[in-house]
Amino acid sequence: MSRSDASAPSALNRRQFLGAAGATLVGGLAVSGQELDKRVVDAEKKRIATVELVKPSVVAIFEKGGAGGGSGVLISDDGYALTNFHVTGKKTGMKCGLPDGVLYDAVLVGLDKVGDVALIKLLPPKDGFKFPFAKLGDSEKVKAGDWSLAMGNPFLLATDFTPTVTFGLVSGVHRYQPPEGGGLLEYTDCIQIDTSINPGNSGGPLFNMDGELIGINGRGSFDKRSRINSGVGYAISINQIKNFMGQLKAGIDTDHATLGASVDNDKDDDVGVRLVVRAVLDDPPCDIYRRGLRSGDELFAFGGRVMENVNQFKNVLGIYPKGWRVPLVYRQKNDKTETLARLMGSRERVFEFDDMGKPKKPDGAVTLEPAQGAPAKFYEAKAGYANYFFNRQMRDQLLAGFKKQGDFSKLTGEWSFEADVTTDRKKTEARVVLREEKTDNGKPGNTVVSMTFDGLDYKLEPLKEGQKVRELTQPTGSGGLLMALHHYRSLLTRGEAGFDKNHFNHGGIEPLYAPPAVGPMPTTKLESLRTDCEVLLTELADVQGRWYFSPKDHTLVGAEVTIERDDDPCELYFYDYKPVAGAGSLPHKIEIRSGNGRFATFVIKSYKIG
Amino acid sequence: MIRGMTAPAALLALALCAAPAATQQQFDKAVKDVNQKMVKIYGLGGFRGLPAYGTGMAISADGYILTVSGYLIESPKDLRVHLADGRRFDKIKVVAVEPELDAALLKVEDLKDEIPFFDLKESAKRPAGQPGDWVLAFSNQFEIATRNEPMTVQRGSVASVSRLRARKGITEAPYNGEVYVVDAITNNPGAGGGALTTRKGELIGMVGKELRNTLTDTWTNYALPLNAKIEVIPDAEKPDVKATVSLLDFIDKGIKGTYKTVARVRPEGGTGGYHGIILVTNPEGVDRAPPYIEEVRSGSPGAKVGLKSDDLIVYVNGELVSSVKTFKDIISKTKPTDEITLEVKRGDKLRQVTVKLEDHPKVAKVPAPK
Repeated sequence: MSRSDASAPSALNRRQFLGAAGATLVGGLAVSGQELDKRVVDAEKKRIATVELVKPSVVAIFEKGGAGGGSGVLISDDGYALTNFHVTGKKTGMKCGLPDGVLYDAVLVGLDKVGDVALIKLLPPKDGFKFPFAKLGDSEKVKAGDWSLAMGNPFLLATDFTPTVTFGLVSGVHRYQPPEGGGLLEYTDCIQIDTSINPGNSGGPLFNMDGELIGINGRGSFDKRSRINSGVGYAISINQIKNFMGQLKAGIDTDHATLGASVDNDKDDDVGVRLVVRAVLDDPPCDIYRRGLRSGDELFAFGGRVMENVNQFKNVLGIYPKGWRVPLVYRQKNDKTETLARLMGSRERVFEFDDMGKPKKPDGAVTLEPAQGAPAKFYEAKAGYANYFFNRQMRDQLLAGFKKQGDFSKLTGEWSFEADVTTDRKKTEARVVLREEKTDNGKPGNTVVSMTFDGLDYKLEPLKEGQKVRELTQPTGSGGLLMALHHYRSLLTRGEAGFDKNHFNHGGIEPLYAPPAVGPMPTTKLESLRTDCEVLLTELADVQGRWYFSPKDHTLVGAEVTIERDDDPCELYFYDYKPVAGAGSLPHKIEIRSGNGRFATFVIKSYKIG
Repeated sequence: MIRGMTAPAALLALALCAAPAATQQQFDKAVKDVNQKMVKIYGLGGFRGLPAYGTGMAISADGYILTVSGYLIESPKDLRVHLADGRRFDKIKVVAVEPELDAALLKVEDLKDEIPFFDLKESAKRPAGQPGDWVLAFSNQFEIATRNEPMTVQRGSVASVSRLRARKGITEAPYNGEVYVVDAITNNPGAGGGALTTRKGELIGMVGKELRNTLTDTWTNYALPLNAKIEVIPDAEKPDVKATVSLLDFIDKGIKGTYKTVARVRPEGGTGGYHGIILVTNPEGVDRAPPYIEEVRSGSPGAKVGLKSDDLIVYVNGELVSSVKTFKDIISKTKPTDEITLEVKRGDKLRQVTVKLEDHPKVAKVPAPK
C-alpha cells in the first residue's frame, strides 16, 4: 500500500512547522495604512467569499487512532464524498471531521485504485440530515494560468476540522503522470498546479475561483527534495471522476482500460506531428483489432480529442473505465475510419509471469479490512467490489424501476413473435419461438430457441453442453441472436434466478451508442449517438450479458450478449415500446448489430406471450 | 422612470464583475503567447541521476535557442529539440557556451520555416524586474510536457534582485552576478533555460539551474536577468585589463560566430586557504565520494609537500575525513598562512604531511567547453 504521495504519516510535531505557512495566507489580507486599489480589495473579498462558500464541504479524514489521514470533499447532501484511494487504503470504515466541528462515521463505497480515487459516504446522524456539499465543475474548461484554491488537511493540522486553504495557479492541464506503485496511482489527464499541496492534502478538493470542484489533489513531483510542496502538484480532474462515478456509486472496485494497441510519434516528423500505431494485440484479437486497426495506421482522434503525442493518447485511455466504448478515428492507407473502440480492463490482463511460469499477482490486489462499528451495517465484502452493499442497493433500485415498465415474471410459457426484417441487402421476414421443451427422458425445462429467418430454420438449445462457438453464435453474422433472445427472455421472466449465482450485478454507468431510430448508422460523429446508461451485468454458463437501461425511467434500451470473450458480441437496440399481453411494454423494433455492421432490423408485428 | 433606474444598476453590475476579473488576472493569453516560443531540449543525462531533459527559448525566427550551459549540451550528437508545435529536430548545433554566464546558444539546423521567438533586444529595453513584481515562470521541469504539450507555468514574485551565491554539489556556481530571486519553486530538475516573464508574458529573465544557496544550504529559485553581465579578463597574460560581457553581447556575438569563451577573475577552490589539491569529483558534485586526490597544482602548497594524484586523504588535523564534502568543510574554516596536518594513504602506507596554506592565485584560465 503506497502512502507515498500526499497523505500525512503522522500529525505529531508537524503543527508548528506548517503554522507558519498558514499565517502567510492570512497575512496578505491584513494590509493597513496603505491605499489599496479597489479592484484588489474587491478581488480579495470575492476570494474570501468563495472560500467561505466551499469551506463547509471540505472533509478531514482520520485513520483510527490518529495514525494518519488526509482530506476529502462532500459532493452530495446525502453524504457522498471523494478522496484518494491512497488515503482510504485498506480501510472500509473511517472517521471524517467537517468544519462544523463534528466527527462523522463514514463507509467506503467505491474504489478506483488506478486513478487513485475513493468514494466514501458519511453517515448522516439522523434521518433527513443534509450535508453541505460542493458543486462539480467542468475541468475541461480549466486553462493553464487560471487561479485555483486547494483546501484540506495538510500535515493533519485541522484538529478542529477547519481546512487550510492555499491559492495558486493552474500550471498545466491534460498532464500525464505515470503510475506509482505497481500499476496503480496513474494520474492521467490531470491538472498541474503551483498551488501548495502537502502531505495530508491528499484527497482534498481543488476549486476554481467560482467555488466549483475541478479536481482532487493527490500527488506532486518531488525528485531529490523532501516530499513537501515542490511547486508542482497534481489534481485528478473532476471530469475523469465523473466518468467513473456510476461505477464508484455502484460499489465497484473499478478498473481502467487498455486499447490493446501501442502508439508512438512518427520518427520522421520534423515536418509535422503524427501518432502512429506500432502494434495491435491480435492473438487473441482485441476489440480494436477486430474493428480494423492495424500496426502502421495513423491515429487521428480518440475520445473526441486530436491525437498528436503519446501523453494525449494515455490521457484519453486513463479517463475511461474498462468496458466503455470510445470513438476512435484512424487512417489506413488513404481511408479514414471512425469506429467505436471497446476498452478492455488494464488490471485483469496479466502480461507478466513469475519464475515459476505462474501469472504474477495482478496489480491492485489490496485486501480490504471489514468495517467495524457504525459503518459495518453499510458494508458487504465481495470479490471485485469495494463495497457490495451499495451495488445491491443500486441494482435493486434499477430492477424496481425496470419492473415498472412491465412485469413478465408470471409469463414463463412459450414466447413468439413475427417480424418484418430489413438487412443491408434485402427485406424479408422472421418468426421466433422460445419455449421449454421436454427432454428425451421426459424431464421439462430445456429451453429451445427456434427461428425462421429469410426462409432458413435455426435452432438453439442454449444450455446444451459441448456445443461449438459456431453453433452458439448462429445465425452467422449476428454474434448470437438466438442466445441473446434467450437471455432477454430470462431477464424478463426470471430476473436474478435466470442467471448464474453471483452474476447479476450493477455495472455502473456506460455509454451506449444506439443507432438512430430513423435512418442508417452514421459513419462519423458517433459521439452524437451517445447516451449514458445504467448497466446490469449478467452471466449464464459463461455467456455474458450487458443490459443498458435509460437512467431516466430504467427502460431497457440496449444489450450486448458475448458468447466468446475474444469475439464480437451480439448487440441489440430496443425501440418503439408498446404494451403487450397486459403485462407491460415490449420493444416493437429491435436492431441487431455485431462487429462493424448491422445484422438486421426487426420490426415486430405481433408478440404471443404465454 | 424604471428605465432610469435600470441602466445604472446594470452598469454597476458590469463594473462589479469586471473588477475582480482585472485583478484576479487571467494569464491564459500570456501563457499561450510564451508557450509558442519555448522549446524542449533533450540530451546527455540519465546516468549520475541527472535529468536528460531541459528547457530553452527560441530567440530568432531561424532557430537560435538560448538555454543554460551544462552537461545536457556537452554532446551535440545527442541533442534533440522539440519545438512548441511538437516537431522534433535532431540536428542541433552548439553555437556558443559561456559557463561564467551560465548560458548556451544552440541552433536548430534544417529549419525551413520561421518560428515564433523572443526578441531579446526589445525585451531588454523594458525596465528590469523589481522586488515585489509578479512574475510567471515557464519551463519543462520534471519533463512533464512532451512534444507539443505546453510548459509548466508558475506564478511568483521577484523576492529580491541580488548577487547569486550558490553551489551545485560542492562546485561553486560560476555565475555570481545579479539574479532575480523568485519566491515560487521554479528551479526544479529540467527548469534551467526556462523563461521568466512579467504577468503579461514579457520576457525578463532565464530560469537558472537547480542550485543551493551557499549561505543557507537551501535550494534557491532564481533567474538570470536579461541585463546579466560579468567582468572578464580578455587576455590571461594581462590580468589587470578587464572587460564586461553581457548576456546580450554573448548572444549577439554568438550568432555572428565571433564569441569566444572568456577567462575571468575568480578565486579558485572556494573559501578557506589555498592548498592546490584537486579532489576526484563528479562534475555535478557527488560530495559523498571519498577524498581521493585527482591532481595537485604545480608549485602549490600541496605539491611542495609531495602530495600526488591517487593519494587518499584520511585525516585532516586528526579528524577523520570520509568524504570530499567533509574535507571542503574543514578547509573552508581555514585561512591563508594556516597549517594543516594531513594523513594520506598511498598504496598500503599512511603518511603524514603538514601543508602551509597560501593565498589563492588571482587568475585562473577557464577551460573552453568541449
